[in-house]
This record gives sequence, structure tokens and C-alpha cells, in this order.
Amino acid sequence: MGVLGAGAAFAQATSPAAAGGSSPLDAAGRFVDSVPGRLWLALAVLVLGGVLSYLVIAVNQRILEGAGVPDSIEGTAFERTARELGTSTVSIVARISGYFIFILAVLVALTVADVGYIAQFWRRVVLFLPRLFTAVLVLIVGVVVADKVELLVDNRLRGVKLPEVSILPLAAKWSVFYIAALVALGQLEVDTDALVVLLAAYVFALVLFSALAFRDLLASGAAGVYLLLDQPYGIGDRVRIGDTEGIVQEVDVFVTRVETDDSEYVVPNRRAFTEGIVRVRE
Amino acid sequence: MATPADLLSGLVADVDGVFLFSPTGSTYTDFAESDRSPVVVAADNDVGAERFVELPVEFDNVKDRIRFGVEGAMDQNFCEDGDTLACAAGVFSDGIDAVVRTTVSESIHSGIYDLFANSRADPSVIRDVFEVAIELGKKGQKGKPVGALFVVGDAGKVMNKSRPLSYNPFEKSHVHVGDPIVNVMLKEFSRLDGAFVISDSGKIVSAYRYLEPGAEGVDIPKGLGARHMAGGAITRDTNAVSIVLSESDGLVRAFKGGSLVLELDPEEY
Repeated sequence: MGVLGAGAAFAQATSPAAAGGSSPLDAAGRFVDSVPGRLWLALAVLVLGGVLSYLVIAVNQRILEGAGVPDSIEGTAFERTARELGTSTVSIVARISGYFIFILAVLVALTVADVGYIAQFWRRVVLFLPRLFTAVLVLIVGVVVADKVELLVDNRLRGVKLPEVSILPLAAKWSVFYIAALVALGQLEVDTDALVVLLAAYVFALVLFSALAFRDLLASGAAGVYLLLDQPYGIGDRVRIGDTEGIVQEVDVFVTRVETDDSEYVVPNRRAFTEGIVRVRE
Repeated sequence: MATPADLLSGLVADVDGVFLFSPTGSTYTDFAESDRSPVVVAADNDVGAERFVELPVEFDNVKDRIRFGVEGAMDQNFCEDGDTLACAAGVFSDGIDAVVRTTVSESIHSGIYDLFANSRADPSVIRDVFEVAIELGKKGQKGKPVGALFVVGDAGKVMNKSRPLSYNPFEKSHVHVGDPIVNVMLKEFSRLDGAFVISDSGKIVSAYRYLEPGAEGVDIPKGLGARHMAGGAITRDTNAVSIVLSESDGLVRAFKGGSLVLELDPEEY
């Protein structure tokens, strides 16, 4: 509508100039006068928005690259897909923030230009837009972090050549993605109560089962911290823990390795505490 | 008329196996399609080879590298006594630039692979100690050559077969070889007399140890000093490996089971 009006004004402005033969400067002055100031302001806002969004894209890209984001997300599925499409995660995120600012500028321009009859609609869009932007950003970050977590867990478990173990990286990936999706949906004010309950149940089961499964490991670890800090016995000492007697070969957080001439015992550190340590002197 | 290609065809004529040392992915894929897949010897199995021998140290000496690879392959039954092998390795550059024809025999069995793979200590710990010793040999202490003796693995027994010369600077500390600060630390402590004792998992248990092994039956070359004798002898009495940096000729030597297994010149690394 604004463009149409400007075009009409332009037609009006040029025809007398051609007919009357007055100076082009004069015609331009009349043209500027004939367009309402409000429209010029809207145009300026639009141009400013364009420049600003371009700057934001460039600066964001620099910041993300400077923070080492491209290196740390190297190899994730999202990054690979982005590369196949001839772009990269960093530029996608930078562009989204830039486009967000540009769209905002367009809306401000429309408001300034006083495009009345769609104002009601636009007002709701303006309120909704930041939330949509955050949701998209959270989703992208979630997908990338989930991919990265999968890669990290997978790398860590590479030494374990057990087919069943491959479920762990997948579980870690989907857990992270689930939480990201939950946050994104929350931003869009979708009712996520049921999903939150599901998450709580999942976390509770995880905590309960790991507490049960790692009970001995945790007790040994706590004892191991004391043994490492205080060193009641060290490598080379002859000790007796329970009915195990031998020379200490190694003390780590979870176990103590005690060796005799023909056998090597791996004693959980928990036992050093519950059964006591005897240092044997020759 | 002989063409340059004939040079190679003579070398690779009726070999029983192909060994690729640190090949690139494409080199491996080219070979992997043949009926008998090649043995890859490299630091990491980047190419996803079926038959793979891990190289803990980039041996600068190609002979040592090939020995290590062949011993490792024999250990995993990739090849056997009497096989003729074509080994493609990099001599002057990192990429493959040479093909060596060799026959698997007892003479190639120097125990290098055994030193890393079948010792009590982790291969990575032995590698780290080698690196420390090589760096110490290269730089010395304030420009002067230093000697050092590291006894790696079976630390409990080694501690019982040695006595302290003075207070142990590593008491109640949790320093492992391979930690970033350790090189500097060991360089400082190498001024002290005596041996460093390092556990199976790489923890530095003690410095300043005077080793007291029985020296009978130790087979080390004549002319090496007391440090080497002590280092060699302790590996006979215990299951440890010792890595000795000579003060006089600057070489790094490794002993296992009372005999000299490996000799490296730090200047070449």
C-alpha cells in the first residue's frame, strides 16, 4: 500500500515537471513534499533494520567463530547436514538472529506507516516473534548439543566392544533433545505438563537405578578419596586387608591392587574401611 | 629394457602379505579390496583396518618400526615364521615413500613389541616415559647431558628391592607421567642420583631410589656403566621395565627381563 501510494505520488510529481519544464531539483522537492513524512520514517526504519540485521549477522558469526563453536560442533549430524546444504550451523544461527531483527524492523516500519487494518494481527505477531525466535534457537542448540553428546559418549565407549553399549550414546542424545524440545515448546506456550511428568519419571528412575547400581562404587570412591589424600599405606608397603595380605602395587580411587608372589588381589577400597588395614612390618 | 616399475615388481614378487605403515585412507581402501587384506601399522586405526597393529611411538628408525609391526602381527597371528612381507612405509616423509621386503624370522624378533604390549605397565605409560627420556636426552639439564633411570611397572616389588637415598620428593603426591608439568619436574629431579620408580598406571611413586637387585645373569653390553647395570638387573628380579638415559653417550635404552631390548638416539626425534 505504501509503495503504491509512493508510486502514485511519483507519477503526480513527474508529470507537471515534464509539462512545465521546471528544474529537476524543484520536481524532486515537490515529490518529497507530496509523500507523507510518516512514509519516509517507515522507509528509514526499514533501511536501518536492514543494515542492523546485516551487522548482527556479521558480528554474530564472528563471535561464534571466535568462541570456537565451529570446532566444538565439528562432526555432529546437524553440522554435516548444514554443510551438505552449502551452509554451516554458525551461519544459520547468525542468519536467524539477523532475520529476526529485520522482521522486527519491517513490523516497526508497518506500524510507523500506520497500516491500520492489520495492526491487530501484527501486534500479536510482534509479541509472538521473540518467543518463536527463542524456541528455534533452543531447538537448534538442542539438536547440536545432542549430536555432540552422542559423539562424546560414543568416543568414550569405543574401547568397549559390546554391541549393547551402543544404546547409551543414543539414550544420551535423545535425553538432551527431549529437554531442548520441552524448553522450545514451553517458549511457544504449548501445554507440556504431561511431557514434564514423563521427564520427571525418567530422571527419577535414572537416579534410583544408578544409586542402586553404583552404591558399592560410590562407597569405594569415597573411601578411595581418603586413601589417596591421607595415604595410610603406599605402593610397596606390605598390608593385610581382611584376609588378603600382600604388597601394595597400586592405589586408585576405587580399588587397591595387592599382590603376593603368585596372585594379585583387586580389593575394593570400601573393604579397607569396613575391615580395617593392617600394615605388616617385617 | 627395464622400466622403473620393474624395481618394485622384483621387491613385491610373491610376497605372503602386505604391511602398510601409517597409510592414508585412500591407500588402504585400494589395498583392502584385494583378497587378503593388508596389515595396517599406525598410531590410530583411522582407516578402520581389520588387521591392525598399534604403534605406540613413531619410531624414527624404519628398522625398528618394521620390527615392531612384524612382531605385533606375529603376536596376533597375522603372519608367521618364514613369511615374506612387503612393507610400505615413510622413510623421509610422513607419507609412504618406500617399500621394504623382509622375511619373518627369529632375527627380526628383538622384543620391541613385547616391551610395549606385554609388560605390566600400560603401553601408553611406557610411551610417555620414553618421551620424557628422549626429551631429557635432547635438551639435558642446563645444556649439560644428564643421565636418568626410570623403572616402570611392578612398583611394589621394585620399592621392596630398593632403598631411599634421601627423602622422596614425590611422597603423598599424585603425579603421573604424561601430565603436562611432569617433564619440567623430572628434568629438575634428574639432578638427583638414583632411580625414578613409576607404577603400572603411570604414577610416579618415588625418586632417589637406590636399586638393590642381584646382578647375576644380567646380559648387557660391556662398557655400559653402573646405571645401566642397575637398570638391567632390576628387570630380571622384578616384572618391571627400565628405561635408561645414558649420561655419556646420550642414548635411551630399554631393558626387559635383564636384557637390552631397544636403543634409541634422542637426537633423531
